[in-house]
Amino acid sequence: MAQGSIDPSGRRFKLPSLLDVRVLGVLAQLAFVVGFILVTVWFINNILSNLDALGESQFICIDGSSKPRCSFDFLSSDAQFELAETPIEYDPADSYWRALGAAALNTLKVIVSGIILATILGTFVGIARLSKNWLVANIAKWYVDILRNTPLVLQLIIIYFSVLLALPQIEEAIKIPGIPIFISQRGVNFINATFLPSAGVWLAFLVLGLIQAQVLWWILGRVEEQTGRSQNRFLWPIISFLAIAILGWVFSSNDTNQSILLGRQLQVEEISDFETLMLQRYDVNTLGEIDMLVANEVMTQDAVDELALSLCVLRDAPSEVNFTAQLRQRGIPYTVRRLSSQSRATSSFADGDCEVYVAPTAVLAGERDILENPNSFLLLPVQEAPVRWSIPRIEGFNFVGGGKMTTEFTAVLIGLVLNTGATIAEIVRAGIQSVSKGQSEAARALGLSEGQRLRLVVLPQALRVIIPPQTSQYLNLAKNSTLALAVAYPDFWNIANTTINQSGRSIQIMLIVLAFYLSISLIVSLMLNAYNRRIQLVER
Amino acid sequence: MDVILSNIRALVPGRKQFHLDLRRFVAEQITRSWILMVWLIAFTAFVGWYTIGQLSAAPGSTTTVLIIWALTVYMTVISELQKDHTPLTFWLKENMYNSINNVLVTLFLTLLILAGVRAFYSYAWVNASFETDPITSNEERPNEITVDDALAAYRVDFSNFPEGSSLPPRVILENAAGTPIRQVTLTKSADDPNIVIEELEDIHTGASWGSVIENLPNILLFRFRDPVIQWRIWASIGVLVVLALPSFVVYRGERYRGTTTRRLLTWAWVASPLIIFGLLYGLTAEGPLQVVDPDQIWGGFVLTVIISVFAIVVSFPIGMLLALGRRSNIQGIPWWVTYPVAIAITIWGLLTTTPANLEASRNTAETILAYWPLAVPVLAFFFQRSFKGNVVAAFSTGYIEVVRGTPFIVVLFMSIILFPIFLPSGWDISGVIRVLLASALFSAAYLAENIRGGLQALPNGQYEAADSLGLSAFNKYRLIILPQALRAVIPAIVGQFIGLYKDTSLVYLVGLFDMLALANGISSQNNWLGIRTEPYILLMVIYFLGSSLMAWYSRRLERQLGVGER
Amino acid sequence: MTATNTKSMGEDVIVCHDVHKWYGDFEALKGVSMRVRSGEVIVILGPSGSGKSTFIRTLNRLEEHQEGSISVDGIELTHDIRNIAEIRREVGMVFQQFNLFPHLTVLENITLAPIHVRKWSRERAEEVGMKWLTRVGIPEQAEKYPGQLSGGQQQRVAIARTLTMEPKILLFDEPTSALDPEMIKEVLDVMRDLASSGYTILAVTHEMGFAREVADRVIFMDAGQIVEENVPSNFFTNPKEERTQRFLQQILNH
Ligand SMILES: Nc1ncnc2c1ncn2[C@@H]1O[C@H](COP(=O)(O)OP(=O)(O)OP(=O)(O)O)[C@@H](O)[C@H]1O
Ligand SMILES: [Mg+2]
Repeated sequence: MAQGSIDPSGRRFKLPSLLDVRVLGVLAQLAFVVGFILVTVWFINNILSNLDALGESQFICIDGSSKPRCSFDFLSSDAQFELAETPIEYDPADSYWRALGAAALNTLKVIVSGIILATILGTFVGIARLSKNWLVANIAKWYVDILRNTPLVLQLIIIYFSVLLALPQIEEAIKIPGIPIFISQRGVNFINATFLPSAGVWLAFLVLGLIQAQVLWWILGRVEEQTGRSQNRFLWPIISFLAIAILGWVFSSNDTNQSILLGRQLQVEEISDFETLMLQRYDVNTLGEIDMLVANEVMTQDAVDELALSLCVLRDAPSEVNFTAQLRQRGIPYTVRRLSSQSRATSSFADGDCEVYVAPTAVLAGERDILENPNSFLLLPVQEAPVRWSIPRIEGFNFVGGGKMTTEFTAVLIGLVLNTGATIAEIVRAGIQSVSKGQSEAARALGLSEGQRLRLVVLPQALRVIIPPQTSQYLNLAKNSTLALAVAYPDFWNIANTTINQSGRSIQIMLIVLAFYLSISLIVSLMLNAYNRRIQLVER
Repeated sequence: MDVILSNIRALVPGRKQFHLDLRRFVAEQITRSWILMVWLIAFTAFVGWYTIGQLSAAPGSTTTVLIIWALTVYMTVISELQKDHTPLTFWLKENMYNSINNVLVTLFLTLLILAGVRAFYSYAWVNASFETDPITSNEERPNEITVDDALAAYRVDFSNFPEGSSLPPRVILENAAGTPIRQVTLTKSADDPNIVIEELEDIHTGASWGSVIENLPNILLFRFRDPVIQWRIWASIGVLVVLALPSFVVYRGERYRGTTTRRLLTWAWVASPLIIFGLLYGLTAEGPLQVVDPDQIWGGFVLTVIISVFAIVVSFPIGMLLALGRRSNIQGIPWWVTYPVAIAITIWGLLTTTPANLEASRNTAETILAYWPLAVPVLAFFFQRSFKGNVVAAFSTGYIEVVRGTPFIVVLFMSIILFPIFLPSGWDISGVIRVLLASALFSAAYLAENIRGGLQALPNGQYEAADSLGLSAFNKYRLIILPQALRAVIPAIVGQFIGLYKDTSLVYLVGLFDMLALANGISSQNNWLGIRTEPYILLMVIYFLGSSLMAWYSRRLERQLGVGER
Repeated sequence: MTATNTKSMGEDVIVCHDVHKWYGDFEALKGVSMRVRSGEVIVILGPSGSGKSTFIRTLNRLEEHQEGSISVDGIELTHDIRNIAEIRREVGMVFQQFNLFPHLTVLENITLAPIHVRKWSRERAEEVGMKWLTRVGIPEQAEKYPGQLSGGQQQRVAIARTLTMEPKILLFDEPTSALDPEMIKEVLDVMRDLASSGYTILAVTHEMGFAREVADRVIFMDAGQIVEENVPSNFFTNPKEERTQRFLQQILNH
């Protein structure tokens, strides 16, 4: 066939003409770059001249000179404002850095708990929208419609001002019978687990237990495959896990670290002896009668406190939690003096300010020898449990103990969860509906049980539809958490805003804010993309 | 069991046979699983407990509901047994009473809704006041509280309370009580050394709709309610009506397709935002269309509409360009340009800036930053790999992603705080205009993603067909691609508009007088101290109606576009 | 090659020399050389994935070739947008999936390119368009939207759309593959009609009857190369290459 007769021009190098698509492309790119640079230079010029007008305070260094590299130095100076709530310790004398860090943790707290709760709520409502019960389906629909068709900030403000602030005051806090949760104008106080040092050991046991349960589950599966006999693949792993958990609890509950020191004249040999002691002191038959005495005004609360067991506690000693938890269990009234240093605690105890000295064993053993008459003091070990419940109770005008959600946090959380939950409900509904009826029927035809049908057929397919829009909802929640400003919850944006007002460094702070929210977006989408990829892989 | 069955039979006026397999019924509805059994027992107990509570709270309505419920359940059961459903019982069976659980759920939810409706009814109507002047209306009902009572009630310390203090007494009381109190006056009694507090409690315990009624023109029009300029609002609405009415005819059906009338109308629509902007903003320094200061005049619902409409109008072309930019596949800067330039910058940077920066560095972070030139080749590599040297695509992608990662409220604050810093010092842009621009730039990124979705949904064949016919790139997009892509994303764009409409409620945080700002303001008006809920309810209604109307329209549009021309 | 031509044929209108095309690392065309004379009807056959579509799409720059040269109607296909536009004006293409513009009526579909590319007046474009619509047999559908037509009608509209541009060369990429059997005939009839009126045609098709009857030459491609070029009578009864025989056996047995 045709050979050689054509001019083999394809090989020759020719200068491309000006109308070559490639040349045009590159020219367009270059024009864009030049334009971009011009605009940027214009902006920077404006910024510089505007900053000049502001004075050089923007770039002030610690030594008083003024250099651009010191733009962010102000962050190390004292913030001088309060934070209404912080997960880490913070004081107005701390730096802006610390203030922003604490606020960032507040934001993360809202985002993480919000995402979890919104997912749960959204899933339930999404399923409810498909309920066979007309009422359930319609209530779910109205919930979704109302929440999605009104602005989030309005919802937040209503939740805060019209609902939460209209709740009763602390003294009349709403109690849910049987559950130690107290809801009042000042927030929600709830029972909370306190982890003591030995909890680490116990948690290690739990992890171990989980691993072995997983292994056992897998082994039983193999046995089932090989022998063909069905094994109880849930019961045995659970039992063995519980066994290990209990073993770990016993093992980590030691009584060598924690002790109390008390005078022998109290005639207390064991902790249960305190009970007898108190019965004698108050001259009652049961400790429960003490409350009655107060209620019947036979005795004032002050008088009760007068006779109560008085403790001196070295601050932050885990033995306090252990010991007082046991006292509360027995209903023994007590008063606590917390002292910040060892010497002060010991001298306080020696002066007779209190009857019982609570501190770690090692401390007490040493301090006993310093006391005048060491042998008249008894060192009593305190049983330490890895985890103890801490129940809130009213002291004065406040709750102490337990966990607490402030009104502001509660408002932001409820608002974000309700709002995002509504959108997630729509996504879940669409996801479930996207799995065609045929798929479900095919599964039924194969003889899969209802549970298997949901788990093996419907869910994996629905998830593939659900997860991408879900990701953007999570991102929305993260971004919407900035509306905390409307109810004065000290989240990152709120505090950044305060910092701008206080320090006048708007550009710097705005850069930090952008970096913060962009990295949250990036992290959330990376995580969900990874998950997405896994789901899609499983699919194949 | 037989006794019960025969009783039921006797109750039914029918000739037909029952088909009741009781054992199967129990197995299906109750004993299928032990979880279900436990749940049913617990739930029955709970519903019983709740019903008794409701019976004592509102005997009349609860009894009615109970009777209706029992009757319909009875009817449904009988019809089911006879396999002879009326439409009503069939619907009930399918939607309300399809299982024992649902029978209970239905009762419980009905009672719950009833309780809610009752509570709201008494709040919003029975106990509500519609009086716009609360002080005069309540003067007849003084209610005396002595200092001791006040002390006991509110733990308030009056010992330092100065005589004839200018502090409104209710503020003090409120602070002490922590809740808003409607009406209080404080006087010093002559014969009693104690201060006597007269609390003029409101007659009503429900809503004070007067606050809303009195403030309604404010919330809707803000300072545009000034009669001198109010006509501009009506003129704007008039422009819309004049354009909308013929649209119903011209855009429907085929009659006006491709005619000059239709083209003119379309251009009129395109120009209408400009006309309306001119009306609302003003054109001249003097005369009837005097330029107003938007920060002073624009507010309330008018501001909400202005921001959402103009933001979407302005963001539309920007969003379209961004979408096209992100998808553009024009020849990028070739690697043999990028890499040498990147390396040149690196070397230049390492030689000239790094030593000086290292010298001046005060901590590790600054030491690391001194090596910034090393990042340039890395960036260049990613630029080439992800965008094949296409700067336009890289810029569009970067812009879209950064904006979408930034919360709207941050963008609003940036516009307020940073615009003056970024622009030459002479340019003084009012707050509203800054917010407008910021909203437009913000929504452009989202719009771009919507439009990109539409572009992606177009089959490749459309591009190829246009190419093979020899259409130029400009004509290809203008005539083939964009008309189809935009039509496909109209619902998404309406959704975007709804989002903007709702998001405008944030502008009160940067000091504009939108509806929410005005609603918040009511609680500090003298007549309506502490009143918040009522105006918030009004706003909920306004936003809800607006958004659901648009959502409904968008769904209709989606259906319309789904058929016919496709 | 030795083609025994029954029609009178003119100049070479398409000349390809050693055309290579890569999709990333995958070489879809491995040195394709061929020439087409004016008025010739060529059918390209080959197994799926052999590069038939890729080849004819390089001819009007829907795909870019990386090596070798292609010249169409004396214009060399380079990156120059003027050349590309010129060639696209002279080469019409009909797709397997019709690719009509769903938002335009049939007549608008047809007149769009003449008005905007050839700069004809609307009247002239509509006149010529209606002429072609009549020729393909569906003048009564002019005001409908593509979605309201059957597949065969849509493909005929696509052909009319291409022809209204008055191209010298027509490319068909499996124009009948997306159609039901009874519609295939409608389209093939139109193609036969065009072949006999002197258009230069390159068609990828699996319609063996059409190839045997109408083609001046059959080109067999496999794995990105031209394996055999032959006149239809020889190609089907007496193929030169062993690969061709296997291919023919496979399709004829089904
Ligand atoms: N856009 C693309 N990207 C990567 N590979 C491609 C692309 N288009 C085609 N290919 C590959 O190039 C080869 C040739 O494809 P082509 O579409 O030309 O085959 P064909 O001969 O037309 O097949 P068929 O008869 O199935 O249409 C195939 O192996 C295909 O996988
Ligand atoms: Mg093909």
